[in-house]
Amino acid sequence: MQDMQLLEEGLSLMALGMGFVFVFLTLLVIVTTLMSKIIGRFFPEPVAPPVPARGRGAAPQDDDVMVAISAAVHHYRRRHRR
Amino acid sequence: MEKLLTLWYGSGLYNLSLGQGVMVLVGLGLLYLAIAKKFEPLLLVPIGFGGILANIPEAGLALSAAEQAAHLARPALLEQMAAALQLGLDPGASVEAWRHTLSETLHGDLSPALLRSANDIAMDAGFAHGMLYQFYSVAIASGIAPLVIFMGVGAMTDFGPLLANPRTLFLGAAAQFGIFATLLGAVGMSAMGWMDFSLNQAAAIGIIGGADGPTSIYVSSILAPELLGAIAVASYSYMALVPLIQPPIMKALTSKREREIVMTQLRPVSKREKIVFPLSLLILVVLFLPDAAPLLGMFCFGNLMRECGVVERLSDTAQNALINIVTIFLGLSVGSKLMADRFLAVETLGILALGMVAFAIGTACGILMAKLMNTVSRMPINPLIGSAGVSAVPMAARVSNKVGLESNPHNFLLMHAMGPNVAGVIGSAVAAGVMIKYLG
Repeated sequence: MQDMQLLEEGLSLMALGMGFVFVFLTLLVIVTTLMSKIIGRFFPEPVAPPVPARGRGAAPQDDDVMVAISAAVHHYRRRHRR
Repeated sequence: MEKLLTLWYGSGLYNLSLGQGVMVLVGLGLLYLAIAKKFEPLLLVPIGFGGILANIPEAGLALSAAEQAAHLARPALLEQMAAALQLGLDPGASVEAWRHTLSETLHGDLSPALLRSANDIAMDAGFAHGMLYQFYSVAIASGIAPLVIFMGVGAMTDFGPLLANPRTLFLGAAAQFGIFATLLGAVGMSAMGWMDFSLNQAAAIGIIGGADGPTSIYVSSILAPELLGAIAVASYSYMALVPLIQPPIMKALTSKREREIVMTQLRPVSKREKIVFPLSLLILVVLFLPDAAPLLGMFCFGNLMRECGVVERLSDTAQNALINIVTIFLGLSVGSKLMADRFLAVETLGILALGMVAFAIGTACGILMAKLMNTVSRMPINPLIGSAGVSAVPMAARVSNKVGLESNPHNFLLMHAMGPNVAGVIGSAVAAGVMIKYLG
């Protein structure tokens, strides 16, 4: 008789525990998704994307300048050698 | 000649009981597994060594002052202690019988007030707590060591993969079924009359299925301190055995095509999300399950220290120096529970067997849940990541990755498996909270 009671309590603890774990983690899924949406909407990462863009933009500009300078230097030297 | 005899009577060899000899061998076996086989060496080395220390005959390193007095004191003191414990000693019985009754009483359920008075009497007579007993009472009986370790685990955990795909939390929830199935198994074994577990003990055994060392130590120190040694040894040994236990189950439950599923790249997660996540988890715990607050509170605290980025030094201490210090004392204290007269029982075998079943069921449920999610969701989910839902961070995730690579050498599942893996930590802490709420 007592054994049956023990088994019953074990079963109810199993149902309760498993149910609660699922409910809690489901809530956590909902809260996390909401939190990510809100943060993505109202506080988007402002700094991260422009930095690599500027870096990439700066490099070709420098190249152009270098080409212009070297062309000018070349031109100048050739003219003065004459 | 008489002096020689005294020396002999005081030697370890003369006093070594069979059980103690066996337990010293068990301790050596644990050390062998840790050193030669690299099974969770960080814990099994201190646990194995502590187990040997606890079984040194006559030294009583793992005994309280009162227990030592019960073994060694003069009959007059024994009578005094029995009076303090409100225990009647049979005047006709031998002194040995008195000692036995006293130490049994001291091991049983005793109100703290009575225990303290017995200890006071023993200390007045010059007995002292053993070293390991002190470690145990400071580190585990107070609940501090597992919680500090949980903080360190939080500081080491990256929730990025979980935040990128929050639905993997369901996998962490499904894998907790192992805990409750094992609880039912333990209760069933007592109902059949094979073992004798109370509901509290069954719950503490079930938590082995959470595959989370600190959680199982925390729960069993509250619900069933008498089984703590066996439970801790079982849970840490099985965590080390994850790469052996899981792959056969994973392969049996999935087809080759399912194992080859390639998952989509995880989205990047912003720093703000990572900072807010531990706080929102904490708020949920506050609202719905305050009993899990010690475990999950420390976990969230550790994670916040990691992610907020302004307390690098604290986060660094929590995940390195502090967790190492605490691990040493935790291991030795668990070792102190490997005393022969408590550990060598049929129940220990039952716990080891049930722990294995718990792991297997948890793994299987995680995989089945992942298969279910794969059929209903638009995003493909490789069922192999479900097995990582039993915590065992990061071993279980590595196993998922490895089995996935065997089927498709270009499919890296590690990051995807880390999501359910950390979800498993949260899940088992929640399950622990429910158990403590229901039974504590």
